[in-house]
Amino acid sequence: MLKLHDVIKTYAGKSEVKALAGINLAIGTGEMVAIMGPSGSGKSTLLNLLGGLDVPTSGQVIVAGTDLAGESEKGRSLFRRSTVSYIFQAYHLMPTLKVRQNVALPLHLAGMAATVIEEKVTRALQDVGLEARGNHLPDELSGGERQRAAIARALVTDAPLLLADEPTGNLDSARGAEILELLRTINRERGTTIVIVTHDHNAASACARLIRLRDGRVEGDSAVAGGGV
Amino acid sequence: MRFLLRTLSLSYVRRHLAKTILTLLGVVVGVATFSSIESAKGTLVKGIRSTVDRVAGKAQLQIIMEGGVPEEVQEQVRALPGIRATSPVIEQIVIPEKGELGSLMVIGIDLLGDREMRDYGFEGDDADLDDPLLFLAQPDSAIFTRQFAEKAGLKSGDSLAIKAPKGVKLVKARGLLTPKGFAEAFGGNLMVVDVYAAQELFGRGRRFDRIDVRLDEGTSVAQGIATLEKALGPAYRVETPGKRGEQIEKIVTNFVAGFNISSGFALAIGIFLIFNAFNVAVNRRRRDIGTLRALGATPRQVQLLFLAEALVIGIIGGILGTLAGSAFSQAFLRMMGQTSETLYGVTSSGTVRLVPLVVLQSMFLGVAASLIGAWGPALSASRISPTEAFAKGAFQAAVPGRSALRIAAGVATLGSAVVMALKPPFGGNPFIFVELLLGGAGIVLLVGPLSRLLLHHLVQLVTRFAPVAGRLSGDALLGNARRTSGTIMAMALSLTFVLGLGGYMGSTKKALERWMNDSLTCELFVRASANFNRPDFLFPGGLRDELLQLPGVKSVESFRVNRPLYQGRQIQVASIEIAPLLERMKYDFTQGDVETMRRGLTREGKCAVSDNFSRRYKLGIGQQVELAAPGGKVRFTIAAVVRDYASDQGTVLLDRSQFLRYWQDDRVDIYDVSLHPDANVGQVRDHIRARLAGRYPALISTRQEFIAEITKAIDAFYALTRVTLFLALLVAFLGIVTALLISVAERTREIGILKALGALPAQLARGIVLEALLLALAGLVLALPAGNLFASFMEGPLAELFTGWIMPHFYPWEILLQLTIALPLISAFAAWVPARQAGRMKIVEAIEYE
Repeated sequence: MLKLHDVIKTYAGKSEVKALAGINLAIGTGEMVAIMGPSGSGKSTLLNLLGGLDVPTSGQVIVAGTDLAGESEKGRSLFRRSTVSYIFQAYHLMPTLKVRQNVALPLHLAGMAATVIEEKVTRALQDVGLEARGNHLPDELSGGERQRAAIARALVTDAPLLLADEPTGNLDSARGAEILELLRTINRERGTTIVIVTHDHNAASACARLIRLRDGRVEGDSAVAGGGV
Repeated sequence: MRFLLRTLSLSYVRRHLAKTILTLLGVVVGVATFSSIESAKGTLVKGIRSTVDRVAGKAQLQIIMEGGVPEEVQEQVRALPGIRATSPVIEQIVIPEKGELGSLMVIGIDLLGDREMRDYGFEGDDADLDDPLLFLAQPDSAIFTRQFAEKAGLKSGDSLAIKAPKGVKLVKARGLLTPKGFAEAFGGNLMVVDVYAAQELFGRGRRFDRIDVRLDEGTSVAQGIATLEKALGPAYRVETPGKRGEQIEKIVTNFVAGFNISSGFALAIGIFLIFNAFNVAVNRRRRDIGTLRALGATPRQVQLLFLAEALVIGIIGGILGTLAGSAFSQAFLRMMGQTSETLYGVTSSGTVRLVPLVVLQSMFLGVAASLIGAWGPALSASRISPTEAFAKGAFQAAVPGRSALRIAAGVATLGSAVVMALKPPFGGNPFIFVELLLGGAGIVLLVGPLSRLLLHHLVQLVTRFAPVAGRLSGDALLGNARRTSGTIMAMALSLTFVLGLGGYMGSTKKALERWMNDSLTCELFVRASANFNRPDFLFPGGLRDELLQLPGVKSVESFRVNRPLYQGRQIQVASIEIAPLLERMKYDFTQGDVETMRRGLTREGKCAVSDNFSRRYKLGIGQQVELAAPGGKVRFTIAAVVRDYASDQGTVLLDRSQFLRYWQDDRVDIYDVSLHPDANVGQVRDHIRARLAGRYPALISTRQEFIAEITKAIDAFYALTRVTLFLALLVAFLGIVTALLISVAERTREIGILKALGALPAQLARGIVLEALLLALAGLVLALPAGNLFASFMEGPLAELFTGWIMPHFYPWEILLQLTIALPLISAFAAWVPARQAGRMKIVEAIEYE
């Protein structure tokens, strides 16, 4: 599903910052992988590259057979629309849209018919247990519910790759456990490849594989004992 | 896209309703100005043309001569081959004593001979005049349209009081017209009288305003014109009624051309308001943009979303602007109608109707202005990468592009505009507008970098006196260069327009005042008509001797003006006794001197011309002006060129002896009366009044009264300009208020952080108010040279193109003083309310504000 070859990412500025210093990595279809590391290790940069939000300075980022480094801005947008879905720590729900509308947003961007959108949104909300909260604004939901809504928005496109940036970072431990359980279910039942960037050991232990980053390099890559079960 | 518009955009509008309305107002004011002026102009022109056509009836040609067509010409024309009928006409607009009835067009015609020319549609049992002989026998007889008669409550035999040149006159209704065809001219406000009674009523002597001609069936219009021109000579104009309508339309179109520039400026300022509002919207919604991009929205979709919002604003602004414009257009029509009546003797009484073309043009302008304003911000939005969007503060911290390139481009464009204005490569309208566009583009390019430089120094200066507030405002202004220069740009452009247009108006007025002081030097002015441009009565020439005999009178000069066509333009040929005039008047000579003028005009039969005539037709001393006189073409050599503001189309000045010799017409517009030093002005005025009483209409003004009257007329001419100036100021202030409201709301998070760090509400409020004042000051400082340059451009190349005059430049200190007082007050007020809100903000909420 994912292949990174000699990926380097530097940020220009008064002094150049090397966020990723030569990453080589492969993640198979249907895997659930956690990426951990201290602040500044390059976790978020790596996730941005995997999702086509950013491009590497050099190297190859091949996702579902597409080398994102060579894609145009528009090509990467269309790629995201069809292949990747996101979950963010801060949810990034549109505050002025109701939950149903938030979930429907990527389908509207893809220009789908209203009846299909309605059907897919209802199913996605059912999958995350939020069917009763569809007509509420994000402000009216708890943190866990907001993240569920964000997951529903990620699920609704049936994208084969789900990228999660600190999905439990804003939640208490009980709500965090619920979200992790939901992600595992999605991985198990739908076969969705999931990559989670996290500081949370509980989140990491929910995954089958753990990749550790330090100073922009892969420090360790191992299976998680009992993870993903 | 519709989903995004309905949800994301609409909710943004709901949350920022007040700011959206202010932004919308920029477009509304621009469109309303354009729409109201265009609608009023269209109605005025259409009304005038319709009146010309309806009054012309079946006449195919009209014979006109400056100063009136002598009676005997009718007989001469009637005898020519190919002429079926002729009919003399006198046309005059009068006001009934009951002013609420509106202006009334009086048509003097030969009722017995006119049936070949016009269908009257009389009402009554015998479908004719009650008694034609009685009608002609009684000079107070008049026919009204039924429409007007009903409005005025007139029945056959009733009298109506009208204000005629010799005072209020009673006319008696002796017939009514069915409101169709001829009777619909001038919106039905029509009164028909016998042409010979009209001669007496309006002091035409033994002359008509024109003679209408109907040709034999086998004679073409071209043949008719050729026959008449050959028989009558160059002093007469022979033209079709349609051509006359076209000429009037051209005059009115030229007259309102300046207002289109004003509405263009209002729209340009509206564009900047939109630009500013969208810039801020993009900034504020960057996280939403990032989310959309992360969810797969393409850059084009993001750009289209913002452009679609601009389109909606443009459409709504266009609709509201058009509606507002139609509400104002009636008032515009009244003002334009009054001015065109005073200046050109033509007007229209009608109700403004919105025509589809004006609606379409207005809508197009609204939408175009909105899309142009939003284009840049929408493009920036499409270029925001999701990673940048999610990084807090990244957008605000973004520095604008390199200043050096921008400054170089600005200096180059502005410089080329100045060079083109000083040394025009080709001349003519298109190049004038190229200069204007280049100048505008140069200013737009320079304002950003210059405002940063200026603010940098201003902040340093202010921080010395108010360390905390100065630093807070400085951080806010210099920390977000993009927002700051956008705000200053909108303000500087508005103020440039206000200072430029106001400066031009002020300079023109001062130049005219100076000229009046130098040229209107006698003690009393005796006029027969209040309307100088289109007099409704002229004095006989012999009256001068009578006036000279009155006690206290030292000298009297007879001033007469004719307005013939010269190379297609209606110039002014003025004549007066030059020798005594030069004794009392100070001419400002641009070529020649007082001696060459005295000698040339009094002894050598030469003429003097005004500076704008000299410039327009590229004629100077020693060259000749060819004028059409009743006896044929006459050539006058130019002896002097003098500064003169009597006509925007140019003036040729002759000694009275030359005018009498070639025009054979001794009538006089104004007698300039100079008094002995010991004479009492009031007593002499009473003597003149007593001498003229019952014989002639007489308006006798002292020098001060006459100058005041002309000044009032000049003010009336500038009334529309003042309205547009006010609109520009309104838009400018809207810009300031919007920009500051947005600017303060924009910094909510920064304010939260400052409060968390211990800033007091009062400190914050002072900082924000100071920020507003600095913004206004920077805008004003940048507008000072730009406005001066714009005023110089209007006084120089633009005025020269339209009038031939180059106006002396006076800096608009008065307007500057008003702005210096008003701007800080408005700015402080605009900042005070949001500053208070910011001071009361809860820290946690403010810090989380996006």
